[in-house]
Amino acid sequence: MSAVRTLGIGTLMHAKHLSRSSFEIALALIIPLVQATLAVYLFRAGDEPHRLLEAAVGAGLMGVWSSVLFGSGGAIQNQRWQGTLEMIMLAPRRPVLVVLPITAATALTGTYALLATLLWGRLIYGIRLDFAHPLRFLAAALACVAGLGMFGLLLASTFVLIRNANALANPLDYPIWLLSGMLVPISVLPSWTAPIAAVLPTTWGARALREATSGGPVWPSIGICLAISTACLILGAFLLTSFERRARAAGTLALS
Amino acid sequence: MTTLRLIGVGGLLAYRALFNWTTPAMYVGTLLAGPTFQLLFFAYLGRQLGVADDGFFILGNAVLAASSACVFGGTMAVANERRYGTLGHVLLSPRSRTVIFWGRVLPYAGNGLLIAAFTLLMGTLMLGLRIPPAALPGIALALAAGSLACGFFGLTLGALGLRFRDVWVVSNVSAALLLLLTGVNVPRENLPPWMADIGQFLPITHAAEAARLLAAGHGLASAAPALGTELLVGAGYALLAAVLLRVFEAESRRRASLETR
Repeated sequence: MSAVRTLGIGTLMHAKHLSRSSFEIALALIIPLVQATLAVYLFRAGDEPHRLLEAAVGAGLMGVWSSVLFGSGGAIQNQRWQGTLEMIMLAPRRPVLVVLPITAATALTGTYALLATLLWGRLIYGIRLDFAHPLRFLAAALACVAGLGMFGLLLASTFVLIRNANALANPLDYPIWLLSGMLVPISVLPSWTAPIAAVLPTTWGARALREATSGGPVWPSIGICLAISTACLILGAFLLTSFERRARAAGTLALS
Repeated sequence: MTTLRLIGVGGLLAYRALFNWTTPAMYVGTLLAGPTFQLLFFAYLGRQLGVADDGFFILGNAVLAASSACVFGGTMAVANERRYGTLGHVLLSPRSRTVIFWGRVLPYAGNGLLIAAFTLLMGTLMLGLRIPPAALPGIALALAAGSLACGFFGLTLGALGLRFRDVWVVSNVSAALLLLLTGVNVPRENLPPWMADIGQFLPITHAAEAARLLAAGHGLASAAPALGTELLVGAGYALLAAVLLRVFEAESRRRASLETR
């Protein structure tokens, strides 16, 4: 019970922290709107206006992924720069319980993008929010946020071993958008990309949202998204503990 | 001659200083892999929607590839001086600050050209676009014009850094808007007229148009007006940057806000 409380309060605190940054908020809101606008005109140009809602959802999900990628990828590094890494690692809880709230918060604040693109589509382009399964859409969105938060922990623990994690994070936006089928159906990609797409939680999260939007079996996709994300969480927790021990032994915890 | 030296040597020194923190891994990841993935994303999206052929997206995104290096580089040319506390030293220089900052843009533009050429090469190899060999010099010219215009556009944004604190929001949003408004990914006839009109005054728009004309075998004479317009847009931003730098420098001296962050 106290672990759940730690996760809940920690997530809320970090979400509030991220929401105080005008830079983060501006990017989380404005750039997805530009991408949503781009998607709307591309879908219109391609004579697929009936898929505009899918385009708005896809563009929003792209924003959620960007938030997780840059927020979680730099989670440990940011704590280092703020001088708070030693303090959170000194907390009498497992490292996963203090880092997971940070990555979960990046996914939670990423939902600003999803909400913004849906509102933008409705108000500016008159896209009717006719979800095939509105409640399942909500469930899929929650699963996506939870799943990406857990996936974010794996990113955080992996990137921490790389000195310039942003070198890896910067080019990862587009490949994940592409491989996960957020705007482009996976079926049009070369066949060798299918196994990579199948192990990404983002693929199943995007699929669940798309099925809830335009119709289809949502629950299996949600289940697979959460299963893969849980595996990422376990692996991330193991890597994080291993990193913490190594860094403590070498005395390099606060060194960037 | 000394002015040319100031532009060339000053720009190169500042560019080398950047590599105090930029590593080869960061360069490859951000500036080479990133634009290539961007090109693939839009090419596959366009292919699936049937918006245009691969060539449209390959050439457009290759020209646009320079923007990440040039827009952010041009912004950093000014903003980083402030961030690292060296802006006062630059502004105390007895030489023209306009020339100093114009000089900073040139290495970024050269870098942008390299990135654009790399992205074009990757796009043609991965998606199988054939470009007539005779068109290559003209396309190189279009890429260079686009990079230079983007660099001065970035310098204009950087100049805002003398006045506003969060210039990075402006740069990030501007870079995203280039994706939308320049007709690189959405054909301009499919954009609302006001968006297409704004695009006329942005870098990349005319360079992408010239590159597409050249790749279609229309020859340099057909692409010359677009190339000339791109250079004019670049020159316009160079002038605007010079004016803004001068105005904001005077204002920040008067308000003693030069080093505030």
